[in-house]
Amino acid sequence: MVRLRAAAAISTVAVLATVLATGCSAPGSDEEESGSDSGPIKIAVVDAQSGQLSSLGAWELKGARLAVDEWNAQGGVNGRQIQLDVFDDQGDPTIGTNLARKIDSEGYLAMIGTAESAVTIAMAPLLKQAQIPNITSGQSPGLVGAGSEFLFLNGPTSTTYDETLAKHILDGEGVKSIAMITNNGGYGKGEHDAFLKALKSRSVTPVVDQVVTTEQKDFSAVLTSIRQKNPKVIFLGAEEVESGLIVKQARDLGITATFAGAAPQGTPVFVDTAGAKNAEGTIVSSPYLSNEINEASKKFAAAYKAKFNEEAELHGAKAYDGTQILLTALKTSNVATGKDLAEAIRGTKYQGLLGNFAYDQTGVGIFETSIGIIRDGKLVAAGS
Amino acid sequence: MQVFLQTVIGGVSLGAVYALVALGFSLVYRTMGLVNFAHGNVVTVGAYLASTFYLSTKLPFALAMVVAIGLTAAIGLVIERVLRPLENRDFDLMLIGTIGFGIVLDALIIMVWGATGRAVPSPVPSAPIELFGLRIRTYDLVVLAIAAAATVLLVLFLSRTKRGAAMQAVAMDHEAATAVGIHVGRSNAIAFMIGAGLAALAGGLVGPLLYVSPALGGALGIKGFAAAILGGFGSIPGAIVGGLAIGILDSFTAGHFQGYSELVTFLVFTVIIMVRPTGVFGERTVNRA
Amino acid sequence: MKQRIAVAGLIGLALWFLPYGLDSYAIHVVNVILIFAILAIGLGLVMGVAGQVNLAQVAFFGVGAYATAILTTHQGLGFWVSAVLAVLATVVVGVVVGTPALRVQSHYLGIVTLGLALAFTNWVTNAEIAGGAEGISAIPAPTLPGIDLSSEYLYYYLELAVFAVVLTFGLFVVRTGLGRRMRAMRDDALAAGALGAEVPVLRMTAFMLASVYGGVAGVLYAGLIRYVAPESFNIANMFLLLGMVIIGGRQSLIGCVIGAVSLALVREALVDHPTIAQVAYGSVVVLVVVFAPTGLAGLPTRIRALLARRRGHQGTAAQLQPFQPYETSPADDTRRTTAILEVEHVSKQFRGLKALDDVSLTVADREIRGIVGPNGSGKTTLFNVISGLYRPTAGRVRFLGRDMTGQAPYRLARAGMSRTFQNLRLFGDLTVEENLLVALDRSRTRQSWRYVLRPISVLRRDRDLHRQAREVLTRYGLTEFAGLAPKALPYGIQRRVEIARAVAAAPTLLLLDEPAAGLNGEEVRQLSEIVRSIRDSGLTVIIIEHNMGLVMSLCEQITVLASGRIIAEGRPDEVARDAAVIEAYLGDSMTADDLPTVPEVTR
Repeated sequence: MVRLRAAAAISTVAVLATVLATGCSAPGSDEEESGSDSGPIKIAVVDAQSGQLSSLGAWELKGARLAVDEWNAQGGVNGRQIQLDVFDDQGDPTIGTNLARKIDSEGYLAMIGTAESAVTIAMAPLLKQAQIPNITSGQSPGLVGAGSEFLFLNGPTSTTYDETLAKHILDGEGVKSIAMITNNGGYGKGEHDAFLKALKSRSVTPVVDQVVTTEQKDFSAVLTSIRQKNPKVIFLGAEEVESGLIVKQARDLGITATFAGAAPQGTPVFVDTAGAKNAEGTIVSSPYLSNEINEASKKFAAAYKAKFNEEAELHGAKAYDGTQILLTALKTSNVATGKDLAEAIRGTKYQGLLGNFAYDQTGVGIFETSIGIIRDGKLVAAGS
Repeated sequence: MQVFLQTVIGGVSLGAVYALVALGFSLVYRTMGLVNFAHGNVVTVGAYLASTFYLSTKLPFALAMVVAIGLTAAIGLVIERVLRPLENRDFDLMLIGTIGFGIVLDALIIMVWGATGRAVPSPVPSAPIELFGLRIRTYDLVVLAIAAAATVLLVLFLSRTKRGAAMQAVAMDHEAATAVGIHVGRSNAIAFMIGAGLAALAGGLVGPLLYVSPALGGALGIKGFAAAILGGFGSIPGAIVGGLAIGILDSFTAGHFQGYSELVTFLVFTVIIMVRPTGVFGERTVNRA
Repeated sequence: MKQRIAVAGLIGLALWFLPYGLDSYAIHVVNVILIFAILAIGLGLVMGVAGQVNLAQVAFFGVGAYATAILTTHQGLGFWVSAVLAVLATVVVGVVVGTPALRVQSHYLGIVTLGLALAFTNWVTNAEIAGGAEGISAIPAPTLPGIDLSSEYLYYYLELAVFAVVLTFGLFVVRTGLGRRMRAMRDDALAAGALGAEVPVLRMTAFMLASVYGGVAGVLYAGLIRYVAPESFNIANMFLLLGMVIIGGRQSLIGCVIGAVSLALVREALVDHPTIAQVAYGSVVVLVVVFAPTGLAGLPTRIRALLARRRGHQGTAAQLQPFQPYETSPADDTRRTTAILEVEHVSKQFRGLKALDDVSLTVADREIRGIVGPNGSGKTTLFNVISGLYRPTAGRVRFLGRDMTGQAPYRLARAGMSRTFQNLRLFGDLTVEENLLVALDRSRTRQSWRYVLRPISVLRRDRDLHRQAREVLTRYGLTEFAGLAPKALPYGIQRRVEIARAVAAAPTLLLLDEPAAGLNGEEVRQLSEIVRSIRDSGLTVIIIEHNMGLVMSLCEQITVLASGRIIAEGRPDEVARDAAVIEAYLGDSMTADDLPTVPEVTR
């Protein structure tokens, strides 16, 4: 058990101290050899494996695992196997920063995750210092704001999601009467700001702009005041379950408006929580509409199903793409580390499940999403 | 006015569930002097059991509920055995001891049912009732009716049956009850069983309203406990009033204060407790000098 | 003592050289553990020492961290200036969170503090200034001339220094007057108040102390992680902290530190198996609570006690020594006529039950007054009204000529009133000597600033108190019991300790509630001698007693209560002949009084 090292070190400190003190050097001069030229290539997955966000973490891990297993089956990278290890951040930024140091001291080349922007932002300065490239599944514009050249996103930012959505609803459908419900969590806040910006650029103000908490269960007050304004479209900026509850309660209150949202509103969890009938017609802006969108996604979904015996979904696909990009960059750079690996990732042009990736200086590699509609409980491309 | 009334209706529906959770807290506390912070986690167990029977074994909802309540009550017996050394201990030990037990329960729930949750479709498919522009979900009425029925049954049990009377006696005076030959251990076990059953009832009922996940009980537990305290800890009518009050308070702060609703809810709660420390109905505490 | 210093020195040395054996990750883990240890000490102080349930410790932590973050990033203040302001801000929050403790306790206080902690997380999640859900990043590293604190190794030494200071300060508080008074309040708030402990001020002080520790930990956290977000201060971490304190042993600050270190290491070891870690952590907590309620720190004592019992329990060899009478202070005839206590037309009603009905009595200086009456006649209720535990429904109580009706017990105690209780209220977890020290210490809790500014004077005072305590112990023949827990002592000795404690508070008026209950004949004789000597030293004594022999021989005036009314008053021989008294006593069978009495209800 490597993890016991801290414990062991403390208990044997008296012995160690006398030995090491003779050197009289400042502590901390031990540098672990990272990225050695032999043995497996170590990649870390950092995600919530327990706590509220653990389902996201579980999906991501599956996507990353699938990609790594495919590469390993074909002989790995440059003949070296890839070792994928999981670390649980529990959705807590403090633990995230612990883990950033841990993967540094244990010689991991790169990191996949996390799914929560706050944790990733907390880790970013440390990973930058340690020169460990990180491909995150977060989509908050705040990730770009972190300003680390080692941080990459495996999907578009909220800005892209919501710009596409606003374009479809306002420019395409010509709807101007829009209400917003977002939560005060990291995701909801990002969605709120991005969608509001997209509306503003079209000189539209939402008829209602309601904020709820992430823990909220009853939305009758919020929804009743929305009902009085009678909007055509209600924008949702909340995670799957909460969005589902909002939609279910809205329909019970007799609200007939169409709902719209980004990635979470396209997931089965959302549809199940809301009820397929209630979710019908929801407009979704997503880079990965369904497993049947093209050949690549069908292949991915089949492999995913075969391996984990469950349906693939967006988060798994994103993590799969991100991991593929990382492994491709490792291959083209001949297993470079640190800055060189980051540059290799930036230079990687990759045609993935989400579309064509080409990274810019901000670490965003993809700038488009598609519009889908929920029909009979399934997300299908709009207009199909 | 419409917003006001609709908000009340929304609050009452969840409030009924909080009331059931609070009832469990209070019943266990008044009988055995145990503040059981694992109660919320028992709610989660009940919710999972009910949804499992309803969704996987395709039992009718009512039957699934009955089976879940029975099973959870049985699990409650086991839990009571584990927590027995904590009964009547000082509050700090009970607090962390039952929290610790709750953490174990949570982990077991994740091991059995996984970390991701499940949505439970409403067992009452009919459309909401429309009344003067207000909409009342039929399922909410079902929840209210069941909660009311459960309360009435509990009160009847406590006041009309021999076993219930014995439990009341234990609640009033532990030693005197033992002296007149009441088996305190058995009385406690039954109280805990009923408490667990009520938790399962709350969990099962709330499933179709919300989303069943390992985190479900935590939130309900805190609100339920606050409700029990607000009504007067250990008081049966207090639990009902406290539950409904917390539900409605929550509903209103959500409407008025948006993201800050939780802050306002707890500040209001704190002020009420400071003004009336023993809750609406008061706790029967006897402090001997 | 020397051994202890040696052990502490060794541990200090080991900690000093610790970083040389750790890689960059391990040192970070150690840094985080130290922060949690500081938090745990704070929680130990408020919960373990002062007995105040505080589930907002994690919010104190958050306030400290957030204030530092906001002041350094938004206001552009230097780290150390921000740190000082942050700790001050935390103390303000501590006062707010502590306020409910003045009204409610136990589980009520638990849910209220938990609610306030949730309110804090909710606020930072929303507030623009706190960066919302994504928190505040890019907090500048603290600077010290010549030392690069962005190095985690050197930061460790900063933390170590702070840790050493706050631990020493904590131990200093616990082992001197303030801590003793807090522990007394934890064991029995009523008795502590009756001895002059300002319970409300003490509770606030406890919360303020905890908030200082939370604030300091928060500042260190902000400097170490240099990022703050709401999730780091959630309930799960609060429960973790609580687990640390309980596992380590809440009544010992060292125990809290041990708990913090061991629980953090267990979690660290199981970090890759979150579900198993959860089961393990939960089970450990339950097991410790069930089998070792005093925590790891309490284990050695428990094991020793267990071994002693195995070896066949030998009772303590300690012997009670004879009481050494006080010097008689010359009676001052001018004071002889002044009334020490005047009770005027006092009534007390409990939900329809009239416990006291228009009771008036006057007790003169240096009198020994007996109060007798059948069970339920309102004797203890009268005491409770006089000593401020009850506010009378009607009437006034004047003490030393001043109207003190409804004043808090501690104010009456400070004014010179002291009492014992019918069913003994000794501080169970304090030694006999500490019980006396609590009474001897007449300093004000609000002078606790001396702990920070004039620690030497605090120490000097404490040494002085110890000397006085030894004198009291000698006078009451209790020297050999000084270090023992009162619970372990025979009943008669506990009674004597309680009287010694009440007199140690240097009162003018002493109220004794059934001091002879449960004593044997010889003990009653000694009691009579003690009470007389106490009076001769210049005190006034009021005594509730069922032992008629004692009352008749000891008291100069006797007041007889029945059903809440005074039915007779006068010299013992007068009262004994009074028809109403005889009737009251015959109506209520005399033999019933020999049985242990059902304690009366107080608030």
